Amino acid sequence: MAEKIVSVQSSLSSAPPLEIHDLTVAYHKKPVLWGIDLAVPPGKLVGIVGPNGAGKSTLIKAAMGLLPFNSGWVKIFGQPVRQALNRVGYMPQRESVDWDFPVSVMDVVLMGRYGHIGLIKRPTKNDREIARECLDKVKLLPFANRQISNLSGGQQQRVFLARALAQQSDLYFMDEPFAGVDAATESAIVSLLQELKNKGKTLMVVHHDLPTAREYFDMLLLLNMRVVAFGPTEQVFTPDLLQKTYGGKLTILSEVAEQVRQKGTQ
Amino acid sequence: MRFANYDSRFTRCLLLLAVILGAGTINVSAARIGDISETDIVGQAVRFFTFQDPAVRYALIGSMLLGISCGLLGSFIVVRKMALVGDALSHAVLPGVALGFLWNMTKDPVAILVGATLAGLIGAATVTLIKQTTRLKEDAALGLVLASFFAMGICLVTMIQRLPTGNKSGIDKFLFGQAAALGPDDVRLMAIVTAGAIAAITIFYKEFLVTSFDAAFARVAGFPAQVIHYALMLLLAFAVVIALQAVGVVLVSAMLITPAAAAYLLTDRMSRMLWLSAIFGMVAGATGAFFSFLGPKLPTGPFMVLGATSVFVLAFLFGPRHGVIVRWLRQRSRARRVQRENTLKSVYHVLEARDFKGEGVSLRELAERRRETIEDVKEQASNLRSNGLVSLHDEGDVIFLTPAGWQLACAIVRNHRLWELYLTNAAQIAADHVHEDAEKIEHVLGEETVRQLEKRLAGMTTDPHGKPIPTLADIRQGTGFSERPTEPTGYGKR
Amino acid sequence: MNLIPSFEFQRVIVAPWTQDIGSYGWIALMGFLVATACGLVGNYLILRRMALVGDAISHSVLPGLAIAFLVANTRSSLVMFLGALGAGVVTTLLIELIHKKSRVKQDAAIGITFSSLFAIGVILISVYASKVDLDQDCVLYGEIGTIPLMGPTPIVRMACVTALTIALIIVFYKELLVSSFDSGLAYSLGINAGVVHYSLMCLLSVVVVSAFESVGAILVIAMLILPGATASLLSQRLPLMLGLTVLHAALSSVLGIHLAVWLDCSIAGAMVVMGAVLFGLAWIFSPQQGLLWRALRSRGNHCQTVPAVLSSE
Repeated sequence: MAEKIVSVQSSLSSAPPLEIHDLTVAYHKKPVLWGIDLAVPPGKLVGIVGPNGAGKSTLIKAAMGLLPFNSGWVKIFGQPVRQALNRVGYMPQRESVDWDFPVSVMDVVLMGRYGHIGLIKRPTKNDREIARECLDKVKLLPFANRQISNLSGGQQQRVFLARALAQQSDLYFMDEPFAGVDAATESAIVSLLQELKNKGKTLMVVHHDLPTAREYFDMLLLLNMRVVAFGPTEQVFTPDLLQKTYGGKLTILSEVAEQVRQKGTQ
Repeated sequence: MRFANYDSRFTRCLLLLAVILGAGTINVSAARIGDISETDIVGQAVRFFTFQDPAVRYALIGSMLLGISCGLLGSFIVVRKMALVGDALSHAVLPGVALGFLWNMTKDPVAILVGATLAGLIGAATVTLIKQTTRLKEDAALGLVLASFFAMGICLVTMIQRLPTGNKSGIDKFLFGQAAALGPDDVRLMAIVTAGAIAAITIFYKEFLVTSFDAAFARVAGFPAQVIHYALMLLLAFAVVIALQAVGVVLVSAMLITPAAAAYLLTDRMSRMLWLSAIFGMVAGATGAFFSFLGPKLPTGPFMVLGATSVFVLAFLFGPRHGVIVRWLRQRSRARRVQRENTLKSVYHVLEARDFKGEGVSLRELAERRRETIEDVKEQASNLRSNGLVSLHDEGDVIFLTPAGWQLACAIVRNHRLWELYLTNAAQIAADHVHEDAEKIEHVLGEETVRQLEKRLAGMTTDPHGKPIPTLADIRQGTGFSERPTEPTGYGKR
Repeated sequence: MNLIPSFEFQRVIVAPWTQDIGSYGWIALMGFLVATACGLVGNYLILRRMALVGDAISHSVLPGLAIAFLVANTRSSLVMFLGALGAGVVTTLLIELIHKKSRVKQDAAIGITFSSLFAIGVILISVYASKVDLDQDCVLYGEIGTIPLMGPTPIVRMACVTALTIALIIVFYKELLVSSFDSGLAYSLGINAGVVHYSLMCLLSVVVVSAFESVGAILVIAMLILPGATASLLSQRLPLMLGLTVLHAALSSVLGIHLAVWLDCSIAGAMVVMGAVLFGLAWIFSPQQGLLWRALRSRGNHCQTVPAVLSSE
């Protein structure tokens, strides 16, 4: 693969790949994320776990600038998100697109190159070559000309992964990449992710399954509207912290947030 | 990315040039459509399409141009699921059209274009504002803006018609469309807008594609998705406005959706969809212009819509990939094939049960094995014979497999038993659960899969129930036997 | 320019209720009845996010009516209703057929169906203009202005439809409420959501057909959505919303007449425009959701009032 050696070197520079300060996101006065503080070191495979509605997808979307937030800031490699987008790769959930759209698998993966191609210009032979390599990595090259609705769920997931790979980014955000895939595909995806990490990339992955979270990721972010814990997996994956994250009772924070909403203040 | 082909770009430029040149060199002539003495429809058709009437040329060319631009923009509406937005936009421009009329008290195409576009944009902005600031959802907001703006337009139209110059203004033609009212200025404007739309879509193809498919990803890739969305809305407004005079306010949205939906059913590639829907739009436009030409008071809009709908119906029923009738036929032939294979399988089983002694299987034995009546079995047998898989003897009472029939029967049995073996060994499913699954799978296993299965299960020669599995070698051995051999052949030789 | 006539108080405001009450009185009553029936049904369309379906049905009754005229040669109500109901059924079936049997999505299926049917209707009334008692103008904006000339029959008919609508909504209030809000709950309560849905569609067809003569095919949508949308801005409780719908219907009819007298324009169009004006007023001045209040509130609330105490947890 045409590797950008520059990217490895720049990830060794001082600015962390992702830095979030006091991020708050609220919809109609109901808080979804509260005062998030985060600094992610480079070259790590980070799992984001938490109960449903904890704001995991919201966190990565807000970090990429896809959602507005009420307070705080986000920096990517020390720069405002807008300017650093060319170093960011995104793998959204499968439900986010209409799979009846008239495009082929190759067309979708080529979209991953659009960020590098820029406005108006066409994909070059090199771009197509890169797209083919990414498709090969996820073992979907024979399907390149198939229309995307003729794929199984696991194959669709892999198309999205190939597209993210084609972006050749330094920081990846992935939203439940293992949702609905079989065991073989899952371990194939995990080894791809680890390959990326070994090349110095940073990956932020929203994950839904606790037991495998412990296996797959170097660092874990336990999230339940706010950061419960963030650090190396062995330190963070403790019964105590997990209980705090997934515990059924409302924490004091949630109770007060509820009161604030009811009183109608902003 | 076929748009990137030099050929298609070249062809499009050529087409466009032809249209512009044609429109530019046509003389103004006042011949009114409909004052023709010929009454026979073929004569009318010939006269229409060979441009004998100068006024007809404008009507026809204009209709085809608007068909192209509606088809192109409509494609994006269909894939983005924005049909109601198209409908609302096309109704909401009416007050703008009326105000455009009032500007000069005549039918000034540019004033109307400006007025209508402004009205459309204000309408779109109002919808967005309503969605953001109230609890009303998108469908209610669109319906509300659609009807309110349209009502304002109707009030203005009735007021204009009251004026002394009003009735001659031709504004009533804007409601249901009248292609005959198109003049050289109109056609020139339509050509410009259509050319602009073609150019914009060609140049920014991948931008429109990626923002339509996955807007969030597009933003992360650095594309200004909102800006591109508004640009598309603006192009849409222009396409609507140039179509208004010929199609009418009420039916423009159909010209946006229907040709594009027909194209959607016929192809799996966005680039081809754009081509097809432009062509279908053009055809619908020409058809509409022609039919309304047949009578003096016939509005053009409805005929264009029906033209487009006919194309859609054809695509819906007979489209090679997704057509309803085509799919039904395919299913039926598949069902018949499965039936044939099952019968063959039963023949094989009967033979196997008596260790392949004697090649003939009587209808009665077959009926017993399949637990069906003799009539049904007879029908299946004659079906097999017409496919060259069996031959019938003793007044049609005894079945003999032909070489082709033997091969197919073995193949099916092999598939079934291999699959059962695979399920019990590799997937560890209980032996009594596998039969149902194998009944289905046996008909669809391909050669390559079978080879893989055989390799994987190498050395196993019996299925979970202890029955032997025919191998490819056995099957091939079976060819070349004569009709009534004296010793068992095929698998029995082993 | 004499596009906009002068506003003479006597002519515009007073005369309709005094010397011209013979005509305008009836027109106001008809407008009120139409808007009430449509608005009440429309509330449920808004709640169920089916405004597009309302649009579709209002367009597709046209060919039903045209065919009914051609076949029966009379303007009898029964024939018209049957024609319209038939068209409504055909529409629903075609929409289902298209989007269930192909990959065309529901929005495009609805658009294709109703516009084709509408086109057929327009062609029928243009070609058979002499035999069918409808013309293009009537289709677009109705003939409510001719109501006074047609005797009591149309008004009585509409009054019955409106009364029926009110009665059905009162009787089946709970069922409509639950199935609009949560069809799962409705099922567990023994309410068949499918029956409710199709009955609502039938009621909608009947109401739309009755309104058709007065306001035409396209303004019907306004009558369906505007009252309920305005009411939803002013209240969050359904009974109150239904009451406000009726009030909106009355106000928009009356004010519409004044506007139409002043500008000498289409009466139905004027009624819708005034309805939209009422919506605009509610949008700006509504006590909780209005734009004015939002602007005032956000100006007073610059600082984050979330207690700093939380950050120490």
